[in-house]
Amino acid sequence: MAVYKRTFKAYKGPLTPAWSRFTVLSRYGFSTLFESRALTAYTVLCFLPFLVGLVFIYVVHSGAVQALLNVRFGRTPLINNYWFMGLLSVEAWMSFVLTAWAAPGMISKDFANHAVQLYLSRPLSRAEYLVGKVSVMTALLSCTTWIPALLLFLLQAELEGHGWGWDNLWLAGSIFVAGMLWIALIALIAMAISVWVRWRIAATALMMAVFFVLPGFGVVVNVILRTRWGALLNLSHMITSVWWHLFRIRLADGETVRFTRLEVPLWAAWAALLAVCAFCTWILNTKLKAREAVRG
Amino acid sequence: MAKVIELDNLTVQLGGRVILDRLAGTLSGKCIGLLGPNGSGKSTLINTLLGFYSAAAGSALIFGKDVRTNLRDLRAQIGYMPESDAFIADMTGVRFVRYMAELSGLPPGEAMERAHEAFFYVGLGEARYRKLGTYSLGMKQLAKLAQAIVHGPRLLLLDEPTNGLDPEARQRMLHLVREIRDTGEVNVLISSHLLRDVEECCDEVIILKEGKIAALCNLEEERKANLKFLELEVTQGNGFLESVRALGCECASFGAGRLKVVLPDNIELRQLYRLAAEHSVEIRRMNYRRDSLEDIFLKAMTGSTSAGPPPPPPPRSAHGSL
Repeated sequence: MAVYKRTFKAYKGPLTPAWSRFTVLSRYGFSTLFESRALTAYTVLCFLPFLVGLVFIYVVHSGAVQALLNVRFGRTPLINNYWFMGLLSVEAWMSFVLTAWAAPGMISKDFANHAVQLYLSRPLSRAEYLVGKVSVMTALLSCTTWIPALLLFLLQAELEGHGWGWDNLWLAGSIFVAGMLWIALIALIAMAISVWVRWRIAATALMMAVFFVLPGFGVVVNVILRTRWGALLNLSHMITSVWWHLFRIRLADGETVRFTRLEVPLWAAWAALLAVCAFCTWILNTKLKAREAVRG
Repeated sequence: MAKVIELDNLTVQLGGRVILDRLAGTLSGKCIGLLGPNGSGKSTLINTLLGFYSAAAGSALIFGKDVRTNLRDLRAQIGYMPESDAFIADMTGVRFVRYMAELSGLPPGEAMERAHEAFFYVGLGEARYRKLGTYSLGMKQLAKLAQAIVHGPRLLLLDEPTNGLDPEARQRMLHLVREIRDTGEVNVLISSHLLRDVEECCDEVIILKEGKIAALCNLEEERKANLKFLELEVTQGNGFLESVRALGCECASFGAGRLKVVLPDNIELRQLYRLAAEHSVEIRRMNYRRDSLEDIFLKAMTGSTSAGPPPPPPPRSAHGSL
């Protein structure tokens, strides 16, 4: 097949390794995402907390800059687990908006005009299709959440010295686990909703509803049934509960936070988050098909 | 000829209903027509060959490999053009086709080159940088064909390729299919309910009816086997009938000058004209026809369906007894 000949010819050249096919989806996914200038600008904005944190850590450890700015930080350890959790919380909510904006379009575009059958008629499994799509969100959200937080952790460890890094190594693990948990939750919810409703705007609205309307139903359930289990519908509350545990957040009196802030036990929060992830995976597995058989 | 598709009691159930019922047969044509009325299971068979549906019983082999166990390998050798719209609306045509080529395993550079070539080949070269959402129906069909052939498949599955096309676009599509078939590097399976499309392109036909094989035949052999039928209306002339018989034709008279003649392959029409002239007979009406795919199709539709291998071809007299 050549342009000047305009005849059909079979392809006999080299092929890429089969395991790497999902990266084609990732590559095209990224390039399609950043065709939108607004989304690119917002992604850049998501690095603002990192830059602010970077400057803050530098200022805290630089007497000369403090003198120049005429500020003085006392001996209180300002950069600690509270600080990192606060930073990650800000990054997490900015990444939530990024996900609600970007993720639905990645899958709903394929479903809108039945392109999924073309993907799956090629040497690409459903799992690889999903991994390709989810990897875009995972990479993007990692770059705006736990990776910058870990970089700041390393900077803090370097500037603080005196074994601060080793003493707080658990904090690096917490940052990673907390970040990945959040990414898995929002990416899977976004993908599952997109596959289910197949309409970008509706998917974005539904994702917002899951995080901002569903907690209201949880409160209603609590009031009507006089229970506290309605809090399980509040996913942001559940993730906060788990994060408090991961970051070893303590009350002023030194007690480990348990049920004073949490309305349900910690295990229930973990179980709720994992159940949501499992449910989303089930929806993806059920709905992501080249062809759907109509029962009857 | 090498076997392209082998069906061994293939049964597919969807939603509790049997859609394909014990299909059995071997297809080895360069261009295979998959015919049948709506709902007969044509698309289901294609989807099963692609691995979208799994068989409840039996098996399907493509190039001797079981679809269930060699799906990945087979999909790399298959180009699929679905019946319905299938594209990403806000992608340019060439980017979409390149994307599909890369998913089939072509390196990015090769994929880009072949995407351009495929677009020129199907005649959309000038529109390749336009977004697919802005394409007309005919252009979308051609873009679907481009993505199906871009990776140089060994088997091309075309599901209703001429659906919704105007006569000119339809001819163009069929011309492309014939051209691809004639390269000898690709086997083509065309699913259609348009007999004309299949007749123009295919050398083998499988006809489905209610999920069963109603007929499976080699069109070329079928055409060769068929005799020529003539329906004549002539003025009365002594000895004309006998002369026609003496020529080697089977002949029957129905009175008032109406004749039916079976013309063997070695007899030309001009010999009949000559006889008519010799006997001073005027030929007032002549219908000349061969057994067409339509006849085969109608016979398959009116005949009883059977599971398993198709019934042996009917005796020649069944095509039209005198």
